Amino acid sequence: MPTPDSHLTDQDLLLAADGELPPDRAIEVTAHLSQCWLCRSHKQEMEQAIVDFIRLHRGDLDPLLPPAAGPRAILKARLAEVASGCETRANRWFPAIEWKQAAAALLLGAMFVAGYHFRPRAHLSPQISSPEPSLTPGAVAFVSREQVCKSTLTKNRAVPASVRRKVFEEYGISGAEPRAYEVDYLISPALGGADDIRNLWPQSYAATAWNAYVKDSLEDRLRELVCSGQLDLASAQRDISSDWIAAYRKYFHTDRPPAIGKSE
Amino acid sequence: MSLFDQLQDRLMRYLLSMGLSASDGEEVIQEAFLALFLHLQRGKPRHNLRGWVFQVSHNLALKQRNATLRNRQTLVEYDRMAAENFFVDEAPNPEDRMAGDERRVRLRNVWRALPEQDRRCLGLRAEGLTYREIAQVLDMSLGAVSLSLGRSLARFARADGR
Repeated sequence: MPTPDSHLTDQDLLLAADGELPPDRAIEVTAHLSQCWLCRSHKQEMEQAIVDFIRLHRGDLDPLLPPAAGPRAILKARLAEVASGCETRANRWFPAIEWKQAAAALLLGAMFVAGYHFRPRAHLSPQISSPEPSLTPGAVAFVSREQVCKSTLTKNRAVPASVRRKVFEEYGISGAEPRAYEVDYLISPALGGADDIRNLWPQSYAATAWNAYVKDSLEDRLRELVCSGQLDLASAQRDISSDWIAAYRKYFHTDRPPAIGKSE
Repeated sequence: MSLFDQLQDRLMRYLLSMGLSASDGEEVIQEAFLALFLHLQRGKPRHNLRGWVFQVSHNLALKQRNATLRNRQTLVEYDRMAAENFFVDEAPNPEDRMAGDERRVRLRNVWRALPEQDRRCLGLRAEGLTYREIAQVLDMSLGAVSLSLGRSLARFARADGR
């Protein structure tokens, strides 16, 4: 903190301009500014810099803004859909029970009736690391190695909402659960994977060791090997679709994935 | 929906400045508001929803960015995408010069030269977020937010030799 005779720092001036100073300090800064021409001119420069930035920011980005009406309508429809999905689960005969609890109760009842003899479904195992082979065997497009390696479109195409819903439905994920998953390609398009529901599965966002980021690094590695001629495309596609975790172990020569997470 | 109406353009500008395309930005915003709906439905805290939506959008945008990077694009290339979104007409043409636009180009160059985190701080502040909200979105301390903004604005002020 400066002495009464010292000048204000840039930080003081900025905090004052943004109304972010504690009240006591704000009084001191105002008092200093009333006496000090140098700090007042410095403050003005700071405010001019803000004006300059805002003009630049708005001037360059505003022309890129899409029309607001379309996204608004889509969101409204999606919210209505989510709300109705939750409502059907909120059992109206048991108004005191939350829909999630009701779903859990129904599930337990079903397990009891089935005598626990059925295979656990995806919604009982929220951290899905591997796809269910019967639902997601993988599917490839008819493309050659040359086409795969020449393609600059390496980013996965967005999966339409209707297809995502269908995938969740197949895996028995419902209600609020879909938010916890990303619908991912088993064989990525960058490796010749097809836009086909048999090539899509819900990969859990939950931080398991074998998460989406680890699979991404395998996809990169396989593409590299294919494009450098060290591995043929069909083998890469077969390995990643039959057991991607085993493929990771094979191509990275390790039993454990590195700790790869969301934080860049 | 009123929060969506209030924040849609602000969020989109921020996401564009992070380097997302308009279509990816739209998807991120939709996902963020669907997540907000579920957040509220579960009876979670209702305070500072603006900061919450920005934070979720920021994280989803980073995920989108990871998806881009995993396809062997480099950080440098991604930064270039962010810069291209911001600098629609990056190179000054003769008309710009005649219109006395050199100053604008100088300011753009200052923005381009800022570290990514400083650009994000500045972008969020420009969209009206408080220091506390910026700290929440970017997972920084309040002091770090204030230092970042001060540093960036000082660079803008120096761009004119002030």
